[in-house]
Amino acid sequence: MKKIAIGGGQGFWGDSPDAAVHMIQNADIQYMGCDYLAELTLSIMAKQQLKDPSKGFAPDFVTRLLREAGKEAWEKKIRLITNAGGMNVSGCVDAIRTWAESESMHGYKIGYVTGDNIKDKIPQLLKDGWTFPNFDYDGDFNDIVDKIYNCNVYIGHESIEQCIADGADTVITGRAADSALFMAPLKYEFGWAADDWDNLARGIMAGHMLECGGQGAGGNFMYDWRSVPRMEDLGFPIAELTEDTMEITKAPDCGGLISEQSVKEQFLYEVLDPSNYWTPDVNVDVSHATIRQVGDNRVRVDGIKGKPRPDTLKLCVGYHKGWKTVSMLSFAWPDAYEKAKYCADVIMKKMAKRGMKADDVHISFIGLNSLHLNVADMSEEAIKNLNECVMRIAVFSEDKNECAKIIPEISPLQLNGPPGASFFGGRAHVQEVMALWPTSVPREAVQTESHILTVG
Amino acid sequence: MKEIYLYDIAHGRSGDKGDTSNVCVFARKPEYYRIIEREVTPDVLHRYFGDMVKGEITRYEVPSLGGFNFVMQHALGGGATMSLRLDSLGKSMGSAVMRLKIHVEDDEL
Repeated sequence: MKKIAIGGGQGFWGDSPDAAVHMIQNADIQYMGCDYLAELTLSIMAKQQLKDPSKGFAPDFVTRLLREAGKEAWEKKIRLITNAGGMNVSGCVDAIRTWAESESMHGYKIGYVTGDNIKDKIPQLLKDGWTFPNFDYDGDFNDIVDKIYNCNVYIGHESIEQCIADGADTVITGRAADSALFMAPLKYEFGWAADDWDNLARGIMAGHMLECGGQGAGGNFMYDWRSVPRMEDLGFPIAELTEDTMEITKAPDCGGLISEQSVKEQFLYEVLDPSNYWTPDVNVDVSHATIRQVGDNRVRVDGIKGKPRPDTLKLCVGYHKGWKTVSMLSFAWPDAYEKAKYCADVIMKKMAKRGMKADDVHISFIGLNSLHLNVADMSEEAIKNLNECVMRIAVFSEDKNECAKIIPEISPLQLNGPPGASFFGGRAHVQEVMALWPTSVPREAVQTESHILTVG
Repeated sequence: MKEIYLYDIAHGRSGDKGDTSNVCVFARKPEYYRIIEREVTPDVLHRYFGDMVKGEITRYEVPSLGGFNFVMQHALGGGATMSLRLDSLGKSMGSAVMRLKIHVEDDEL
């Protein structure tokens, strides 16, 4: 019976390449998918590209992963599929070609997918009456049109699969849906029909369990993190599929844990409604899925169903929203929290005197309540003997100058405020705030294309 | 009757989609599923989080996995990009849910 093994090589832009390199060197896989794009990544890349047109993709894919193990992957016929192209697919392809030429990899086939960037089509779509409703908040799209950094559609598997069918050794995309990177080769290998919803859903969930890298293999494992062996060598997950089975495992000789619980925590992660997990390729239903241990570091996943794909595609628009400043000051025992809180009051009184017009201010205390906020333990017992506490004040304004007003007010409080204050990390700086406008476009408005470049 | 942390009988993970926080919660043992079902309702979580979660809270049940997905809208202070919170992605919303205190009968554990 035909079996295909596909690995997850990256969980985000900035992830360690160690597990991917180890997997290429040690695991029996035919494909590896590498996800580099979180919701905001494309806006950051778009901003980089504005400053320097050669940027706008995830260079780590080339400079770290391919340089370390790309040639070995090619020799072993492990095909790599990644959305590392970000905002600049052609720039990423150029970097790969340069690397492949330097390694004398004649005949290396780079597949790439274009069409997810629809910024140029927005004016016409607006004229046609498409309103780009915001899924999260009220608001008129016309108000942000002039402030847009990027407009990228979450595209599905089609052009990725075409690249694979055309013999690509590696496939580069922009904003392909994370899980489509993994489903495309599985659909190709098993010859699933475009409306074989149950199988497409299986492929998508294989991708879903792999797309976050180590999080699918014992990383960020709440059930029992102490039980995860060798986190310093944490392996990433591998999905093995046949026509009717799916198992999750990991490479030999690495750390990490594949257990019923570690896979479950990733399985529902960011799925929202388990009966309707919408992707560009299929509407996935995992509401009757089962996960059970079938061997050492090996679980079997069953019961995944699929329903027809949506008529619209998710569109992520990144735009300029305003500015923010984050300032911090630390305090030592005794009365660390009381002093930090007093100091925050002092600063806000000073800012009122200076007439700072902030649209939003958020004050929290690191070491006490900056993560759990309202539900942190603020009992006298938790507070009274605190060793240290860091005051954190974050200010948002649409006006950059307003955000800058607080910056020089922090360090003087070492001498002018309560005792035991330490200023650290240097003066704060004003950061740009980019926001997302989550919306959709009609499927017909998006045409993706596949291309192949062969290294001579 | 005694008071315990949800963490004592459950585990899970939190993620984000924009300003929406998604916390999955699984029973540590199959028999704990019904305790979570009884004790951790959207109303309870709304009271617990207060103005930290400004939007609707929906609970989805997946008994075949012994788990639930809690989807909380307008829960991250504006979401990844706009939030002024230290934890703008809500990575610690999972453990925040886990420190909810729940009530169990002595013979339920």
